[in-house]
Amino acid sequence: MVTVDNTRGYRVFRVINAVVLTGVVIVTLYPFVNIVARSLSDEFAIRAGKVNLYPVGFTFKTYTFVASDPTFWTNYRNTVVYTVVATFIAMVLTTCYAYVLSKRHLRGRTFLIGAAVFTMFFTGGLIPNYVLISSLGMKDSIWAIVLPNAISVFNLLVMKTFFEGLPGELEEAAAIDGMNTYGILLRIVLPLSKAILATMVLFYAVSFWNSWFSAFLYMSQSDLFPVTVYLRNLIAGATTGTSVGADATDMTVATNIKAVTMVLTVIPILAIYPFVQRYFVKGVMLGAVKG
Amino acid sequence: MHQMNRRQAMVAMGAFLALAGCGSGDDKSDKKNGDDFSAKRDGAMSDYAVGKPFKAAAPLSFSILYNNHPFYPMKNDWLFWSELTKRTNVTLQPSVVPLSDYENKRSLIIGAGDAPMIIPKTYPGQEVPFVASGAVLPVSDYLDLMPNFKDKVAKWNLQADLDTLRQADGRFYLLPGLHEDYWADYTLVVRTDILDKLGLKIPQTWDDVHAMLKAMKEEYPDSYPYSDRWAIPTPGGAMMNQVFGLGSGVRGGWGFTTGITWDSNAGKFAYTGAMDQYKQMLQFLHTLVAEKLLDPESFTQTDDQAIQKLASGKSFVISGNAQTLVNEYRPPLKKANPKATLAKIPVPIGPIGPVKADSNDSRLENGIMISKKALESKNFVAMMQFIDWLWYSDEGQVFAKWGVEGTTYNKDASGKYKLADDVDFVGLNPGAPKHLQKDFGFSNGVFAYGGSTELLQSTFSDEEVEWQKVMNARNAMPPKPPSPLNEDEREQASLWQTPLKDHATQNSLEFILGKRDFSEWDAYVKELEAKNMTSYVNLVNNAYERYKKEHG
Repeated sequence: MVTVDNTRGYRVFRVINAVVLTGVVIVTLYPFVNIVARSLSDEFAIRAGKVNLYPVGFTFKTYTFVASDPTFWTNYRNTVVYTVVATFIAMVLTTCYAYVLSKRHLRGRTFLIGAAVFTMFFTGGLIPNYVLISSLGMKDSIWAIVLPNAISVFNLLVMKTFFEGLPGELEEAAAIDGMNTYGILLRIVLPLSKAILATMVLFYAVSFWNSWFSAFLYMSQSDLFPVTVYLRNLIAGATTGTSVGADATDMTVATNIKAVTMVLTVIPILAIYPFVQRYFVKGVMLGAVKG
Repeated sequence: MHQMNRRQAMVAMGAFLALAGCGSGDDKSDKKNGDDFSAKRDGAMSDYAVGKPFKAAAPLSFSILYNNHPFYPMKNDWLFWSELTKRTNVTLQPSVVPLSDYENKRSLIIGAGDAPMIIPKTYPGQEVPFVASGAVLPVSDYLDLMPNFKDKVAKWNLQADLDTLRQADGRFYLLPGLHEDYWADYTLVVRTDILDKLGLKIPQTWDDVHAMLKAMKEEYPDSYPYSDRWAIPTPGGAMMNQVFGLGSGVRGGWGFTTGITWDSNAGKFAYTGAMDQYKQMLQFLHTLVAEKLLDPESFTQTDDQAIQKLASGKSFVISGNAQTLVNEYRPPLKKANPKATLAKIPVPIGPIGPVKADSNDSRLENGIMISKKALESKNFVAMMQFIDWLWYSDEGQVFAKWGVEGTTYNKDASGKYKLADDVDFVGLNPGAPKHLQKDFGFSNGVFAYGGSTELLQSTFSDEEVEWQKVMNARNAMPPKPPSPLNEDEREQASLWQTPLKDHATQNSLEFILGKRDFSEWDAYVKELEAKNMTSYVNLVNNAYERYKKEHG
């Protein structure tokens, strides 16, 4: 009997598939391996273009050098704090909003959804936002970073779809047993939604970890910056400095220092990703199929 | 992706706001302000003058936008801050902005009306978008409060340079950094050991350069003797700007900017990309490419690739400046070939003869805008005096650059500056435990620039001082006259500039690389005309005539 698995066409497909995906993996992985190699290399070797896949002139000095900069660690700590607080706030708000929106009997539901979706397409613009945040007195505080982006409409809709897919009978049963709305959400719905929650935490955490823009806008002290702003200045700043040919007394930051900073910034999120990823596929797929 | 979009949106917004101006469209009618400053003198010195150190009568603090350089990130415990307060009674409150996005944030906070009083690190021309909104002060009205500034302008004869900053109302809105003399830096860096080997002298003119490259090619037929850097994002960035632009009197590469050049023979402005001098430069570069002396990849490769070719002996000539020579070229070359030597050659003399500056140059440096709201402060006079002292007095400039005598530097009997033994800066004291910029906050690009030639060169190496001597012996052409556009004209001009520039840049490369023949030059100029070149040039010339009539 011929099954799908061993038809000729499928075998060909699998070979091609493997080749293409291997190519994608190499293309994705190479820059990262290269950065790691640079971070462990001697600066002259990098300048001479000798560093590709493995370190040349192996040294840990650059790591100790970057680690000895207190600003780097202050900013690193800021990133961790901002990410944790922002993700927590975002999860609470998004979950509540999505849960409410998933109830079809809610009056004004269409308006609430419309209000959220509206912000996907129209924004107040940069300067009005800046003026708003300033007049709320949130400049130079963590709130400027964690509040304005607390609800991502995309995440909200994914979550709403997921909640809509949960069987309504469960909630009815709980209600008959005497549970109030909050009890139902906390004890019935959320335990059943671990997959989507994990996915959302991952989405939010990664986006807050990587974000630099709000901090750049609203922070005016360097010890309030997250490490992304530090990194951006190191990379983009040094590049523009030389390419415009500014003051001759200005110096550029060595390439190995840039590499080390990049590696140190990426590592935590890289370490978390594989552990959350298994939920990730489950969570988004569930929402998609049943929505 | 999301962030990219936001960033683009921000740039666009910033530009839009800067153009549209969201300030309160202030009355520009009150010409030379007759206001007396009696209500704004708190903390000011009544007898402030040239040669007198500024010290505020009461402790003051001023807000300042701070451009945070990644090489020496700002620290609050820098000696610079504490010593500044000790000497002047002024505390600066920096609003820290990463250098990578300084211009964006500057537009944003000026547009939002939230700018600090002092806005430094603004290059001539960058202040123009903020003029119409009235967000920045016409500083030319307040120069009487700044004796050192006026003194330097008079002493160094900088009036014509300053005039290049004037806007349509005859005033200027930027306090520029002032240089005593022109300062050329970019030129060709050449393997002098190869010159010795081939028995060649240091080339002086374009023809000498040509001959030198030819001789190198004969000796090493497989190489491209000249492979250049600074191709991205502007092809020929340095090469067509100063390296060969100075010899032809027109600027390509980084210097192309608005595409307008002052034609001193004709007494009017012309479009750079259509000028004969520009054509001469392209023809010269084309000859180098055609004879395989200049690497065609010079216009596309990354800086690293170009430096690698130099270090590995595949090329012998590259554009550079004093810093890149010492920091980026010599160390890798030394490693690969200990016997190799490199040096800057004087900027090659081109068709217009030996000059150190043409009409595109000025002796102005980046400088300071003053926020409009500073004028309402009762400390306004004190602030202007403070700025005058720190950025424009001899004492302030030495302080900002060298620091505190006995701690960061010493002066020997002949008045020469010397770093303290435990302090390093630009490799003058290699291996010293502390760094003048990183650990003390001096020689900071925000505070230290411009000044006398002696001060400028005090941190130069001996070979660089020699190089400067050769250059300074040459003549300078007067800077171009002002031709300020009004708001409508500026908008119209910006619509024409980009397509013209794109076409000129693209075709310049085709001419150089031989993809387009010079017999088609007239056709190319016609194409520029089809893109409104003539209207654009007329616009600028009318503005020039109008300004001459009204303010000349």
